[in-house]
Amino acid sequence: MDPQATEGAVVSWPAVFVAIFGAVAAISAVAVVLSRNVVHAALSLVVVLGAAGAIFLVLGAEFVGWTQILIYVGAIVVLLLFGLMLTAAPIGKHALDNQQRGVAFITSAAVFGVFTFIIWRSFGSQRIHLNQVVRTSDIGRSLFSGYILPFEVVSVLLLAALVGAIVLAKKD
Amino acid sequence: MAMTKEERTAKLRELEQKIASKKGIGALYGLVKGMSVTMRTMLKPAITTQYPHVKPDLPERTRGVIALKEENCTVCMLCSRECPDWCIYIDSHKDVMPPKTPGARARTRNVLDRFAIDYALCMYCGICVDVCPFDALFWSPHFEYSTDDLSTLTHEMDTLAKWMDFVPPPPPLEDGAEDPSQEGAAADSATPAAGTTEAAETQAPPAREERHDEEPPQIDQEAYDAAIAQGKPDREARALAKKAWILKRRKAQS
Amino acid sequence: MIFYHFFSNPWAVFALKLAAVFIFFLTAPLFLGYVEHKGLAHMQSRLGPMEAGKFHGWAQLIADGVKFIQKEDIVPDAADRRIFMLAPMIVIIPVSLVFLVIPFGPAAVSCHAPAGAGACGFWGENFDVGIFFVLAISAISVIGMLMAGWASANKFSLIGAIRGAAQLIAYELPLVLAASAVAMQAGTLSLVGIGDAQKAYWFVFPQIARFIIFVIASLAELSRPPFDMPIADSEIIFGHMTEYTGIRFGLFLLSEYAGIVSLSAIAVVLYLGAWHGFFVPWIPGPIWTLAKIGALSFLVIWLRATYPRLREDQLQKMAWKYLIPIALVNILLTMIFKVVF
Repeated sequence: MDPQATEGAVVSWPAVFVAIFGAVAAISAVAVVLSRNVVHAALSLVVVLGAAGAIFLVLGAEFVGWTQILIYVGAIVVLLLFGLMLTAAPIGKHALDNQQRGVAFITSAAVFGVFTFIIWRSFGSQRIHLNQVVRTSDIGRSLFSGYILPFEVVSVLLLAALVGAIVLAKKD
Repeated sequence: MAMTKEERTAKLRELEQKIASKKGIGALYGLVKGMSVTMRTMLKPAITTQYPHVKPDLPERTRGVIALKEENCTVCMLCSRECPDWCIYIDSHKDVMPPKTPGARARTRNVLDRFAIDYALCMYCGICVDVCPFDALFWSPHFEYSTDDLSTLTHEMDTLAKWMDFVPPPPPLEDGAEDPSQEGAAADSATPAAGTTEAAETQAPPAREERHDEEPPQIDQEAYDAAIAQGKPDREARALAKKAWILKRRKAQS
Repeated sequence: MIFYHFFSNPWAVFALKLAAVFIFFLTAPLFLGYVEHKGLAHMQSRLGPMEAGKFHGWAQLIADGVKFIQKEDIVPDAADRRIFMLAPMIVIIPVSLVFLVIPFGPAAVSCHAPAGAGACGFWGENFDVGIFFVLAISAISVIGMLMAGWASANKFSLIGAIRGAAQLIAYELPLVLAASAVAMQAGTLSLVGIGDAQKAYWFVFPQIARFIIFVIASLAELSRPPFDMPIADSEIIFGHMTEYTGIRFGLFLLSEYAGIVSLSAIAVVLYLGAWHGFFVPWIPGPIWTLAKIGALSFLVIWLRATYPRLREDQLQKMAWKYLIPIALVNILLTMIFKVVF
């Protein structure tokens, strides 16, 4: 994956920016976990998601990058913050520590392993050229031709979630 | 079919109510009407004026500030006591005057030393003006005495007297009103003297004279004579006679 | 010749554009603020600012800016210091970025940019996903609002921030739906492309409903009257801005007026034919765009003078019960027209 190792050329700008944004995302992710203030943690999450969006942008996936920002930063984290501020947000080490370090470590290690494995298997030795921007129309075409079934499954899932939320919210 | 303006407005009102009673369109009509109101207001010239540059066009008897006619004050303290804010400060001393006739008792007189109104406390109710029995306090149209310091809002006698210059002369008396100057008291200094009342004195009596020429006096001559016979002063007799005349006329009308 | 060399350097052109956008970002809100001062005043039969700058108070906003800079920058004791100080930046940066993509005129006929013809014109940047970029970036502002409200350690601030967030969540949806219908009709997400697509007719005419939805949702997003519950001054002082002073408060205000200009500009590009004029074709496109932005911004001020504030529940009802269903039906109609014709 290291362009220098395989090509022996100068480091490309996208690679540098991916490294920077990746580092920002990683540091902020650690801050999410270590923060003693839930609201600070949620704001760090904004940075993580924003950096992820920035990585997409650097890699030429404009639509995906902005979707990341619109959906995650603009909607999900806002909802999260909204919920935190509406309820009494717990502050302090003891209030936020649920004493499950072991389980948490195993889970995160497993997720990391699975993702690494999948990415390695898919793109392991493949070289990806970033010389052209992914057009939105291409994404639309592939979404509605090759991936129509997953797309519909996801929308049914969201519909189910919506119906469930209404059922929970309605008292009678 | 020419409609008068009233008819047209009534018809419009009716139409408006008809539209407003329908929920959807009525609401829309209200929204559009609101917009038109603001737009029309914007296109009309503004009501406010640029005060320090343009002096406001105030009525003659604007109640701007309370002025003191110093020579009328007898230090009766009524204003000070009636003031809801206790913002009138009065200091005085008694002067002993030599008797008019030798051997009589020496007379005393109140002399005003200080008369101050704290306009930081004053709420401009005007009770002091109403309550003053000697016409020493007046509403003055002067209003430009704002400062940036509370303590300078307590104005002393000299300032209050200066504001008296802004007070317009009293309006001419109504028809049928009594002559305010007391009989045989013209020389006495207790009557409202100088500037302001002079105009009234010169205006009111001729007016009464004229009226005497035109129509019969509105007093009952019998009652007047009776009162005089009882030894009452002319002023009181006139008042009684007028009362009797009014009662008689009322009776005649009913 | 030197000009030719200068303009054939993409970086120089980009720097120039950036400077132009920045100047527009700083001056347009000031001008709008002045128009609001005067317009609102005359709608209430007042005169508005008359002193600053001698002639009808034209320098009032500049004087205000100087005042904001001079004032002490106070951070409340109980406030979450860093977040409190960061919040105004989070609010203003997304608003300023929107200005980057507003197209003021058509693509230049001759263009020496390496990307080829049609790549240069009166805009900062022509993104392939222009409208999507605008919607995504403007959604970030609400995080700044929440940060400000929460970090102020003031109950009015918090109520204001929560109202703002609730409002934004409710009105983001009709805004996106109304905009996506236009993108569908134009067949592109690029703002320049959408502008070009309105050569024959403005997109406002076939379906006026979505233009109205867009304007209402924009007002709500900007928390402008009659949707100013997040800052409702008669109820919660000034919402999330209650504790702010000086330049930070000034930034909040600047972002509000910049937001009006930017969302008016987006509405002009999406619905009012962008730079396409009528009757007088010799007037250049950028002037048309600016005139339309001005007219729409004036409408925003006019609405503020006219309508009272809605209640919080009325606001939510309006979004979920009326605007979103209408927007969805609108999308459906647009799809049908697109397929049939």
